[in-house]
Amino acid sequence: MNDEPVFIGSGELPSGRYPNRPFMGDLVRVAVAAVADAGLTMPDIDTILLIPCLHSPADQADLVFSRVVEELGLAGRAKSSYMVHSGGSTSDNTIRDAAGLITSGHARNVLVLQAEKWGSAPVKDMIDMLTANGIPREWEKASGLSFNAVGALITRRYMHASGSTPADMASVCVALRQWASHNPNAMYRDKELTVEQVLASKMITDPIRALECPMLADGACALVLTSEGNARRLGRERWVRIAGSGGCVSHYSIGQERDLAVLGWANAAVEAYETAGWGPEDADLAEIYDSYAAVLTSGLEGLGLAPKGEAARMFAAGEFSPGGRFPVNTNGGLLSAGHTGVGGGTALLTEGVRQLLGRAGRDRQVEGAARAVCGGSGGTYMDAQVLLLEGVSA
Amino acid sequence: MTGTIEATGMHALTGPFHEALRRGELVVQHCKACDRNIMYPRHLCPFCYADDLDFVAAPTTGVLHSFAVHRVGSPTGFEDDLPYAVGVVQLPGDVQLLARLWPDADGGWDAYTCDAEIVFRPADAAETERRPVAWFGLPD
Ligand SMILES: [Zn+2]
Repeated sequence: MNDEPVFIGSGELPSGRYPNRPFMGDLVRVAVAAVADAGLTMPDIDTILLIPCLHSPADQADLVFSRVVEELGLAGRAKSSYMVHSGGSTSDNTIRDAAGLITSGHARNVLVLQAEKWGSAPVKDMIDMLTANGIPREWEKASGLSFNAVGALITRRYMHASGSTPADMASVCVALRQWASHNPNAMYRDKELTVEQVLASKMITDPIRALECPMLADGACALVLTSEGNARRLGRERWVRIAGSGGCVSHYSIGQERDLAVLGWANAAVEAYETAGWGPEDADLAEIYDSYAAVLTSGLEGLGLAPKGEAARMFAAGEFSPGGRFPVNTNGGLLSAGHTGVGGGTALLTEGVRQLLGRAGRDRQVEGAARAVCGGSGGTYMDAQVLLLEGVSA
Repeated sequence: MTGTIEATGMHALTGPFHEALRRGELVVQHCKACDRNIMYPRHLCPFCYADDLDFVAAPTTGVLHSFAVHRVGSPTGFEDDLPYAVGVVQLPGDVQLLARLWPDADGGWDAYTCDAEIVFRPADAAETERRPVAWFGLPD
């Protein structure tokens, strides 16, 4: 299929606290890096799909109103530039958008672009801002629900349903930290973590402790997609195709989720694997949203990558760690690479693409990686969006 | 909660729920067309899209699906409440809601467990006026 959409390049800046890195500067730098990685030049980009930032409404407005087009020297050349937004699942939905545009001929070369300044923003302001993101003002805000409590509600239900212990849950964070130690772009690339340290950290929102909360970070990612025909014409040696896709929006408010230990993952998995024609047993790695450990364990189980109720114990047994049976969140995930807002999901997707292109670097490249399960979730884990990716050699 | 664009016209949905709470009662929305209970209240019935909706007394005993205890850090305005707990309560009639949880006899929330029975115990009118939220506690 010549007009099949494929990833041909990516870019990423280090995540963490970089107060001197301006937002628009990060966007431009990561865009240039991704376009070069794709073997294109900037004027080849006709469509820019923007992943929103959450640190500032003014900066988000700049995204909506095409500031990036001017900054990249594409004024008068770009066909279309717009923002897609579904919180932490945005990148998955954006890729579907890019895929449709390419397949239908509405776009040739699409640049997906993301940057966030959460690590440099005042934490208290960001906590308050998040109470307006998926928490209904009429029905839940008056309870004092915080975003950490959303994670805690999911975690407690998951622990109850699975019989996972606090040490099992802590081991998820530890495994992600081990992966982060191999990722030079991770916020916590050089800070070891043990289960004992997690369990000794302060209880923040019971049952979630301080070292189980995602750390807000600055970061930037970019991806370049084109058609398979273009990839061949460009002489690319390897690209990544979208083998399957599935999704489920299970709720808006956390108080309306029927099963907090399950969420929408299993529903999303059905269509994703059906369209891909392969199953979880065929996957080589997974990159699944992990702003809290239980979001990731429910994802692994719903997507068939762990038996129901076993994922946290499998983390404790080292099965998903570097050198383990099955690589999960090889960039360190949101929990250890840094929670770059909506971009946390973009970073995971970027890592999946990088792995399948064989460009994840000597220390963490999964040998022979050909199939990746990628999953994102937005708002109060309102949805489960799944992309099944495949690496293809020319 | 009036005077903002977000609150415009929302009183028909929020008013009956909040007024019931101030009376110490719990109500849920009900569709007269298809006879189903609805939570949270909606503009049209999400099952049959009728607008023949009213509010009915809700069962006051439910099941605690999950809960979280804020110990450190809260949204602005809730600092003096710390520590405090919220929980997802599932009620008979296939409706559920987020609620506040009263401390147990020991002053904490250790006596609560997922899937255990839980009972509506309203806060006083002043607290409910300040913060229109349903409170639940352990059965006697
Ligand atoms: Zn109805």
